[in-house]
Amino acid sequence: MAFVTLDGITKVYENSREPAVKDISFEVRDGEFMVLLGPSGCGKSTVLRMIAGLETISGGDLRIDGERMNSVPAKDRDIAMVFQSYALYPHMKVRDNLAFGLRRRGISRSDINRRIEQVAESLGLTPYLDRKPHALSGGQRQRVAVGRAIVRDPKVFLFDEPLSNLDASLRVSTRNELVNLHNRLGATTIYVTHDQVEAMTMGTRICIINDGKLVQIGPPMEVYRKPVNTFVAGFLGSPPMNLIEAELKSGADGAFKLDIGTQCIELPEAWISYLQGKSGKIIFGIRPEDIFLSGQDMKRGANAAVTMTVTAVEALGAETIIIFELEGVDTKVFVKADRYTRANIGDTMPLSIDMGVARLFDPVTTKVISNNTQLSG
Amino acid sequence: MNKQKDLSQPLGAIVTFLVPALTIYVAFTAYPVVRTIYNSFHEVLPGHPNEFLGLQNYVTLYNDKYFWGSVKNTLTWALTAPFFEQFFAILLALALYARIPGARFFRIVWFTPVLMSFVVVGIIWMWIFNYDWGALNVILRAIGLENLAMSWLGDPSIALPALILVTTWMWTGFNMVVLLAALHSLPSEVLEASELDNCNWPKKLWFVIIPMIRPTILNLIVLSFVGKMKIFDLVWIMTKGGPLWSTETVSTYVYKRAFEWNSFDLGYPCSIASVWFVIVLAGVLLLTFIFRQRDKLEY
Amino acid sequence: MASFSRSWKHVLLIFVLTIYTAYTAGPLFWVALMSLRTTTEIAHNPYALPETLHLWKFSEAWVNSNYSVYFANSVKVVLSAVAIITLVGGMAAHCFARYRFPLRKVLYFTIFSTIIFPPQITIIALFQILVEYGLYNSLVGLMLSYVAFQLPITVYILESFFARIPADLYDAARMDGYSEWQIFWKVSMPVALPALSTTIILNTILLWNEFLYAVVLITDESKRTLPLGIQKFMGDQLEDIGMISTGLMIAIIPVVIIYVFFSERLIQGMTAGAIK
Ligand SMILES: Nc1ncnc2c1ncn2[C@@H]1O[C@H](COP(=O)(O)OP(=O)(O)OP(=O)(O)O)[C@@H](O)[C@H]1O
Ligand SMILES: [Mg+2]
Repeated sequence: MAFVTLDGITKVYENSREPAVKDISFEVRDGEFMVLLGPSGCGKSTVLRMIAGLETISGGDLRIDGERMNSVPAKDRDIAMVFQSYALYPHMKVRDNLAFGLRRRGISRSDINRRIEQVAESLGLTPYLDRKPHALSGGQRQRVAVGRAIVRDPKVFLFDEPLSNLDASLRVSTRNELVNLHNRLGATTIYVTHDQVEAMTMGTRICIINDGKLVQIGPPMEVYRKPVNTFVAGFLGSPPMNLIEAELKSGADGAFKLDIGTQCIELPEAWISYLQGKSGKIIFGIRPEDIFLSGQDMKRGANAAVTMTVTAVEALGAETIIIFELEGVDTKVFVKADRYTRANIGDTMPLSIDMGVARLFDPVTTKVISNNTQLSG
Repeated sequence: MNKQKDLSQPLGAIVTFLVPALTIYVAFTAYPVVRTIYNSFHEVLPGHPNEFLGLQNYVTLYNDKYFWGSVKNTLTWALTAPFFEQFFAILLALALYARIPGARFFRIVWFTPVLMSFVVVGIIWMWIFNYDWGALNVILRAIGLENLAMSWLGDPSIALPALILVTTWMWTGFNMVVLLAALHSLPSEVLEASELDNCNWPKKLWFVIIPMIRPTILNLIVLSFVGKMKIFDLVWIMTKGGPLWSTETVSTYVYKRAFEWNSFDLGYPCSIASVWFVIVLAGVLLLTFIFRQRDKLEY
Repeated sequence: MASFSRSWKHVLLIFVLTIYTAYTAGPLFWVALMSLRTTTEIAHNPYALPETLHLWKFSEAWVNSNYSVYFANSVKVVLSAVAIITLVGGMAAHCFARYRFPLRKVLYFTIFSTIIFPPQITIIALFQILVEYGLYNSLVGLMLSYVAFQLPITVYILESFFARIPADLYDAARMDGYSEWQIFWKVSMPVALPALSTTIILNTILLWNEFLYAVVLITDESKRTLPLGIQKFMGDQLEDIGMISTGLMIAIIPVVIIYVFFSERLIQGMTAGAIK
């Protein structure tokens, strides 16, 4: 099969001076499902289009199976792409849409037909083969777009937000279908999305891009649990990681303390090595599900106690989000509590924080300081 | 240095796609325009080298009373006909908009004249205007208005209005169809709301409907203006500019000076064409500008 | 009472509209009737219905008055001009809509602004140029002039349509392995079929009816197009109302036939340039 290597890939669009993609390097391994995740306009599509050969590469090297592809035209890269708008040929029947890419490749007519039948069968498109795209539902069109990619049996699949035009429930089922498909075909896949649920559930690895730069790459849970900077911390999760401004102080005994507003918590001993010589302003990051109301489930040992005041309660059914205020702190603190929680606005209550999974970030560089290794998945 | 070719700008393909159109454009439009302007400063006689005259053609033109007569006629045409067409077209469009039975049929029939060649239309209307047996006079005599019957194309003071009537006949249906489409594209609540407001029809027309389809109307007026500024065929068929130059348009005058009169000089007609070219462009720009300004003031 | 005055207004309105319909269609109907009558009959009473249908007049015009030649010339010139305009204009429009290249805006605006040029600005020089190239008084010369004449409006209409085709479609075709030229043929043109038919109709009707270029660029009787042939015929046989009518009908009938079958498309095509 195939592996794709990006080595310092940069893109500067002709009419703009700022590069849209800056020095991105990563490798997509054979059979991997790599998700490119990032906010709108960060350059995901640009990266994908450069891999596809639809956009020139301004700098760096693109290799597929070790072979440099920068100046190989799109059609010779053996890559198939599924577009956000599906880009089905409106004047052709589904059958011809599927066949269009094969006809250029010197494949015999009977072979083409066999492949089309096979792919249509596997995607449940057989009844629609003789319809034109305008007579299909959104979900069916999406499947034709996927079918058009599969039927070519390419080395690499590229998807550019293929689910964003579907309604919520269809998106979930199609997501599963695509994962199953990937498991079945085992093809190297690069998948662009700005939907973090898609990223978390589908990807073998996630590659987070912001403002044209690669921020973090790794398996979904690792990226989720160990964000390398405040951007990733604030981008993933809903609600995302709480980022609370705090003050780092080293105590007399060499231990570190954190002033959060008017309260003070102790930092675990294990962190001392990272924090040597540091003090002053810092950002304290903690995920909403790692703060616990008293009496609610808590598995880990190291924890810190704080007192906060309820400012809002969002009962979502499966869980309840409670939004707290911390005295002396501007940012609100989100806490995921279980669905039976009762809380009233104005209540002040004690909470405990699982310090084992907390993160500290440098407020200037936004990078993580506590490279906490004792974390378990 | 390996400079990559830009994938979104395959230069070879761009050139291939453009060359045929540009070649035709340059050979049969741009070059003739330039040559016409060049000619306008020369005396261009067949079999002679062109003789440079400087501005002499333009001086002659300035003193050419036939030219100015044709300008007056053409401008009269171009500045009145569009408004007649719009007036009737709006009324007819509103009638069809009000869900008259048979609206589709009316629309299709009213559109027909514009599909006809000016040659066809011109000949038919010559007959309609015929003094002895033309339909117009026959009808006038039949309803007792015998003294109004006249030689429509033979009377210098009537011939031009008669021709303007023909273009109005021809183009009203066209304008009506466009306006009707514009009306149908309006949100239907607006017209119904004004229905409830109980204001009377002319008011509603003037204050509600016309402002809303105003861009379409202005567009049609410019289009009609340009059409009339170019008009040739109809005049050539019906009156050849007569009687007594009363229907001479700039186009027919250019044609006569170039191909009919035995002066054989192509330089002078080219100077007329050049001046007219500038006037038409200026007219279109001016109209667009005026309409834009008013739009700005009102919104 | 109210409903009475309402329906009364309705009747009046329909009456007025019927009169207007008679006014627009009447003249054409009248010519259709006269085309089937002889000049003697017409002289007797111009507004009578035909007593016997003198269909022979059509074969008479067709054979003896050279209308078959005019008709064939018109068909040749119009069809080939429209084919070339559609192809060349489609290519240019595709190019303007799809690629970004230096001078794109300038070139497009230059071609576009030609739409309002009065034909006089080119026609005299065109006459000279065609004489120099040996294309004067030839159908090819006339046809090429027609192509140039209708090119700007065609490019304008098609460009605005091509510009609405999503770019992804082209990218998909590129990934599918098609060259720019194949994409033009297999994607752009088929997808733009509605716009193409609009321009084809518009150009066909306008060129079928064209007179100025024909009268300037053609002199031979054997090369006349229909409008020119009719005009010359009328010049020679001014009094022969019956035969002139038959000639007019020969020019009108093809248009009417197209109109009967494709009235909506035709209306759409003719008004395409007027609607922004
Ligand atoms: N053809 C272009 N010319 C100039 N700039 C462009 C072009 N295409 C994209 N850009 C710019 O490059 C940046 C990245 O665009 P890109 O389409 O890759 O974003 P994206 O991450 O896919 O966003 P989205 O999630 O909204 O699709 C944006 O700032 C965009 O404005
Ligand atoms: Mg994108």
